[in-house]
Amino acid sequence: MSKQLKLKIITPEKLILEEMMDAVVVPTIEGEITILPEHIPLIGGLRSGDIVGIVKGEHIPMAVVGGFVEVKEDENKITNVIILADFVEFVTDISEEEVNKAKAKAEELRKQAENKEVVDFEHFATELERSLTRVKIADKWRTRKYRK
Amino acid sequence: MASTKEIKRRIKSVKSTKKITKAMELVAASKMRKAVAQTLASRLYAGYSWDLLTSMSGRLEEVKHIFFDGIRAENPRHSGARTLFVLITSNGSLCGGYNAQAIKKAIALMREIKDLESIDIISVGKKGDGAMRRVGRNVVASFTELPAILSLRDITPIASFITSEYKKGIYKEVFVIYTDFISALSQIPKVRQILPISKIELKQAIDEVNTIDQNIPLAITKNQSPYLIEGDTGKLVEMLAEKLVRMQIYQMMLESGASEQSARMVAMKNASEAAGEMIDDLTLVFNKARQAGITQEISEISAGMASVS
Repeated sequence: MSKQLKLKIITPEKLILEEMMDAVVVPTIEGEITILPEHIPLIGGLRSGDIVGIVKGEHIPMAVVGGFVEVKEDENKITNVIILADFVEFVTDISEEEVNKAKAKAEELRKQAENKEVVDFEHFATELERSLTRVKIADKWRTRKYRK
Repeated sequence: MASTKEIKRRIKSVKSTKKITKAMELVAASKMRKAVAQTLASRLYAGYSWDLLTSMSGRLEEVKHIFFDGIRAENPRHSGARTLFVLITSNGSLCGGYNAQAIKKAIALMREIKDLESIDIISVGKKGDGAMRRVGRNVVASFTELPAILSLRDITPIASFITSEYKKGIYKEVFVIYTDFISALSQIPKVRQILPISKIELKQAIDEVNTIDQNIPLAITKNQSPYLIEGDTGKLVEMLAEKLVRMQIYQMMLESGASEQSARMVAMKNASEAAGEMIDDLTLVFNKARQAGITQEISEISAGMASVS
């Protein structure tokens, strides 16, 4: 069996995923990168977008907002890809209905954001980004094949 | 002696109070469990962000950032004069000494700083907000509308307010006063400096939360090839620092939440017990009064019969 890497995705609320993968595609600030096993140690910031885990040719997409990626080798010589993010969601979990809801919410938030004070605005800005990312990623994966 | 009717009414009222306190106790207990579970869940993230920071720290020495210790002195632009306190208390009362302790701690701490005018306060929770306004401190922001079950997004406005004010160079230090959850029976108000980030304190903070769960690899594996850093190191450090600040606030809020609920649980338990005792006492008094009434009636009847015959 060819080498695999261990993908760990962690948010402050919980451990989202810990699984062996063949490759991972991550949206960093500098652009999208694909990490393969035995990648050199790396640290990078993430922008909102989609993380795609690849196992046996199957794609596992997730929507992500804000965070970091760290690649390093652990004691057992396995490449660890650790993703610390504010928010992660499997595309499978984003249902059609929710996407519509998120769209409506994003629209509403944008309207509200116009007449909000600075402190509150921060809150709205993150909410807005989250909603938009979900919509965008769900749209992107609608017509493609991926592991449910 | 009070009439039996009146005693009966009092027993009934105490009983209904007991029902309420009992219900509050149970609600607090379940909320506490939730808060504790949340604190545990966030430990993993805390552990890994520390790991990330240590991985980067080789580079960190090269990076001068105002979020980190010892940078301020070299950079006069950021040598702010003011001190910011974040006081975490609850919105509701009926939780024993929970709020009073935190407020007392805050006031004692402020006394150590000579110049009271240079203190600004961010209050989280109505109780602390009211207390700080009463003693005449300058409350710059108050967050009182937080939900009972916190998620990270509820913390974002607080954290970004603190970091942006700090970045402007208004404040020299930022402290948080919160209540540390040790066990269901013991909660201790504590103070922690969150900005500038001192690496030693941060390590301590993360070690503290990791006391139970040791399988998070906090020790870094040495002799690795140096990290490749994607993007601008300075920006990355700033992002990481902001995340760390937010994570710390999130954890302190969770700790405080757990403390509040357990304090309330204990207070309500005591109240329920006191109500139980009160019911027992009143029942005794009621029985005595009833007995006295019967005895009196009998003696009246027999006295009446004696006078007739």
